[in-house]
Amino acid sequence: MFLHNLKYSLKTLFKNKTLIFWTFAFPLILGTLFQMAFQDIEKNETLDTISIAIVEEKENNIKNIFEELEIEDKKMFSIFYGNEEEAKEKLEQSEISGYLILSDTPKIIVKENGINQTILKYVVGEIIETEEIMNNMITYEISQNGVLTNEFYQTLYENIKKIELENKIEIKDISSRNLSYTLIEFYTLIAMTALYGGILGLYLINQNLANQSSNGKRIAVSPASKRTIIISSALAGYIVQLIGIALLFLYTIFALHINYGEHFFFILLLTLIGCLAGLSMGIMIASIFKINENTKTGIVIAFTMLSCFLSGMMGITMKYIVDKNIPILNIINPANMITDGLYSLYYYETLDRYYFNIISLIIFSCFMLALSMQSLRRQKYDSI
Amino acid sequence: MTVFKAYLKVLNKNKWMVILYTVILIFFAGFNMKTSDTRGFVTEKPDILIVNEDENIGITKHFINYIKENSNIKEIKEDENARNDALFYRDVNYIIYIPKNFRIDFLEGKNPEIKVKSTGDYMAFLSEMLVERYFKIANIYKSIETNEEKLEMLIENTLQKETEVEMTSKLDTDTLTKAAYFYNFANYSILAGSVFVICFIISSFKEEKVRKRTIVSSHNYRKYNRELLLSNSLFAFTLWLFYVLLSFILVGKAMLTSHGIVMILNSFVFSFTSLTLAFFIGNLISNKEAISGIVNVIALGSSFLCGAFVPMEFLPDFVITISHILPSYYYISNNEMVKTLEIISLESLQPFFINIGMMLLFSLLFIVLTNIVTKRKSS
Amino acid sequence: MKNIIEVKKLTKMYKNLKAVDNLSFEVKEGEILGLLGPNGSGKSTTMNCMLSLLEFKEGTITIFGKEMKPNAYDIKKEIGVVFQDVALFEELTVYDNMDYFCGLYIKDKRTRKQYIEDAIKLVGLEDFKKFYPKQLSGGLLRRLNIACGIAHKPKIVFLDEPTVAVDPQSRNNILDGIEKLRENGATIIYTTHYMEEVEILCDRVIILDKGIIIAEGTPDELKELANMEEKVSVYIEKLEEKHIEEIKKLKNVSEVTYHNSNLIVIYNKGKNNLISLTKYLEKERISYDKIYSERPTLNDVFLELTGKELRD
Repeated sequence: MFLHNLKYSLKTLFKNKTLIFWTFAFPLILGTLFQMAFQDIEKNETLDTISIAIVEEKENNIKNIFEELEIEDKKMFSIFYGNEEEAKEKLEQSEISGYLILSDTPKIIVKENGINQTILKYVVGEIIETEEIMNNMITYEISQNGVLTNEFYQTLYENIKKIELENKIEIKDISSRNLSYTLIEFYTLIAMTALYGGILGLYLINQNLANQSSNGKRIAVSPASKRTIIISSALAGYIVQLIGIALLFLYTIFALHINYGEHFFFILLLTLIGCLAGLSMGIMIASIFKINENTKTGIVIAFTMLSCFLSGMMGITMKYIVDKNIPILNIINPANMITDGLYSLYYYETLDRYYFNIISLIIFSCFMLALSMQSLRRQKYDSI
Repeated sequence: MTVFKAYLKVLNKNKWMVILYTVILIFFAGFNMKTSDTRGFVTEKPDILIVNEDENIGITKHFINYIKENSNIKEIKEDENARNDALFYRDVNYIIYIPKNFRIDFLEGKNPEIKVKSTGDYMAFLSEMLVERYFKIANIYKSIETNEEKLEMLIENTLQKETEVEMTSKLDTDTLTKAAYFYNFANYSILAGSVFVICFIISSFKEEKVRKRTIVSSHNYRKYNRELLLSNSLFAFTLWLFYVLLSFILVGKAMLTSHGIVMILNSFVFSFTSLTLAFFIGNLISNKEAISGIVNVIALGSSFLCGAFVPMEFLPDFVITISHILPSYYYISNNEMVKTLEIISLESLQPFFINIGMMLLFSLLFIVLTNIVTKRKSS
Repeated sequence: MKNIIEVKKLTKMYKNLKAVDNLSFEVKEGEILGLLGPNGSGKSTTMNCMLSLLEFKEGTITIFGKEMKPNAYDIKKEIGVVFQDVALFEELTVYDNMDYFCGLYIKDKRTRKQYIEDAIKLVGLEDFKKFYPKQLSGGLLRRLNIACGIAHKPKIVFLDEPTVAVDPQSRNNILDGIEKLRENGATIIYTTHYMEEVEILCDRVIILDKGIIIAEGTPDELKELANMEEKVSVYIEKLEEKHIEEIKKLKNVSEVTYHNSNLIVIYNKGKNNLISLTKYLEKERISYDKIYSERPTLNDVFLELTGKELRD
């Protein structure tokens, strides 16, 4: 009986195009879109070479320093030298971020606010500051020795360089290297797939209950044990869910080249439990609400989308905002349990937060099943 | 009128879908459109968190004040996990840990170490520039000045040297960016909302029973079709009008400037293209269950690939190339272009009208395809 | 014939509404019992109680002499049910649907296969085995629905309005199928509100209204019970007054009228009334044409008993 029902439950699920679309195809499509849209966004966060123009009205030391900056290894600027007309034209066409007019006091011309413009300003500022420092040093030398020796003047620049090199405040970067936040998008995708799996459980259990469907009535009057039928249907739902998740992993890893990091076993464990949470949510909705099946599916889809939205699917800052301001909302949000578990695995070195999420998912699943239990065990009904 | 009444009934059943997509639009747009009303050049300020374990006096205090002036200082819960989360989600770009006894060690020339956490993006780069610059100057002056207060004075004077920056554009870029953001996102709401509803309604009307009843009724079949077309157009128009009103509320007066009006015109043409697309899909697909999936894929796909969610400039080149086959590309390109257009004139709007032409061509294509599909189905 | 099902003092409440009120009846082995009544009369509720789907307030239900319970699997094995709504998996073919439902009763694969073939033949779906329910017409779906319920060759078959909204061809097919089931020895409980079906099919009829049995018996007995008249009308070109007087004197005749070449004879009761009239006309060499008799139907019986029409 168990195998007979399992076989046909699987057959039913695989033949149901709507279910297969939402649990198999939709995550893959969304994943592809994520990959296409986000693959360059982090690269764009790091600095490109900034195109500028320099218009030299009077000979100025600054030009030499910029020339030096241009040939450095990590090339910060690419510089066009020319007259103001040309520079203006280039700015208008957005070919350069801004241009520098060198006269008695240097002046920067930009079109709009922005990061490149700010950096240009900072660099010019630093050059001017260095001049100021040298002036101050000279004033100091004169106040100390009364005269300014030629020798002092000549070594001043080198001395400053020396101080810079020897007495440097060491800045030590201790941040984790795993900072790729677009990965969160794929975590929410895993969460979505796991929870969408709920509609598989929902569909099958709905077919098993006499008070929910005519097929359920037919099963109820047969000599098949209700418990066997329900357990085997739930298992069928879980199997199909796992196939969907496996497809998602295979596709994202091999076709989209997503690197989920080293802890693949832990990722898998969390995902398996996440699927269980989705399944039990579907079973709960199937068994305790007495409404049209399409409405139930709608509830699962809407609830999943909302949970995923709160855990960062449509913009990862959403997860952070909820975590920071209304933490309880995300503690009880199953999509976030999955997303946060994967995130903590990726970003944190300890596993505390990961285990917290695993336990949360187990509690969530048990809670869902406990809610459904009374309805699932029921053999006779008040009304059908 | 009969058709229109029936139409309103079906529409009423689907009102939640329209409301859902509208709420998402308001939520996203309202949430992401924080503006500061500024004209003229302002430097970009990174978000920095300072964790100070030293006493907040002397050079330490001076350093902190300097960072405060040049960045947005963030207050995060005193918990390392909260700080890490803040860094990961780019709530802060840079965390500076000032160790115990930093001030004394620095003044004594012990070159104390400063630990930082960084997101590694350009904002973090700016932050690092700030820190390096401060201590470079401080170190140099330390070689000639041992009095802490005088040292602070020297540093202060040097850092105050400002470079003059002139900004050529007089455009209110902030507000226009906001408007473009709203209309870019509306790409999703218009596609998802109106296409979904129109498809659903067309297929409801096509359903066998309804069809039989309407043919049997005295209503002329052609007239019936025309009324359905009119009702759908009316719906698309109303939805568009509603979104325009919404933009007045969320963006404000800027929508009444020539820039704003051009954007509104753009969205009108796009709504029309969406309407024709909806007709095509609605006539192509007869399975109601499939509609939701297809509309989701089309709306999300167009929005992701054409830059409604992620700005176009961040999209990889090949994605931009692909997106040329979607009408949304021309719609969003127009918003992005209008946003930066210095002068609105017939001449400067030439590329704008080319994009409008492309959208109209798409509409024509959808109309032709719809006709082919309906003819095939009826024969 | 022994009783195969016994329902004793069954009472079922829906909140404050009494759906079935102190109902007692039995079903004999091999008979077709019709449960007749308008919508909301308690037919389906009674059936669902008998099948142990519904909780009921009072009463006992025994099948094969044992109490019917949800886990009385040995009883359930011998029961086949065809519900009012079509209960099928859209995603499975005709054959797979039957295999699934039949598999809940019959474990052995070879027997199952044979049984399914028999059932498919019974309802005439041989050409549609590989079809999906969506591809079938309403009538064919109903047939499949029946086939799924009876494929395991049950001893007792419950049929809940199996012919609602079915085209005449499928309907005849279904009624034939039910006849065949009886021939094979099944006991059938048949609920319907189609009078003609009960008249053709059922050995015994129970008429329910508002959860109470208002009449019980064979279709003929029920018609007798109604004590209704028979009306015979005959077309006769010309009829003399004396003949009319003589016809009035025939057995059971209560009233005779002749108007526009139309003779109408009303009998108060009895059998063979039509024959006695034709015999008389032949004896007197009166030529006649177009003769027909209007006998009471169960519908009239129902109208008489409850004061309302059966069909809605």
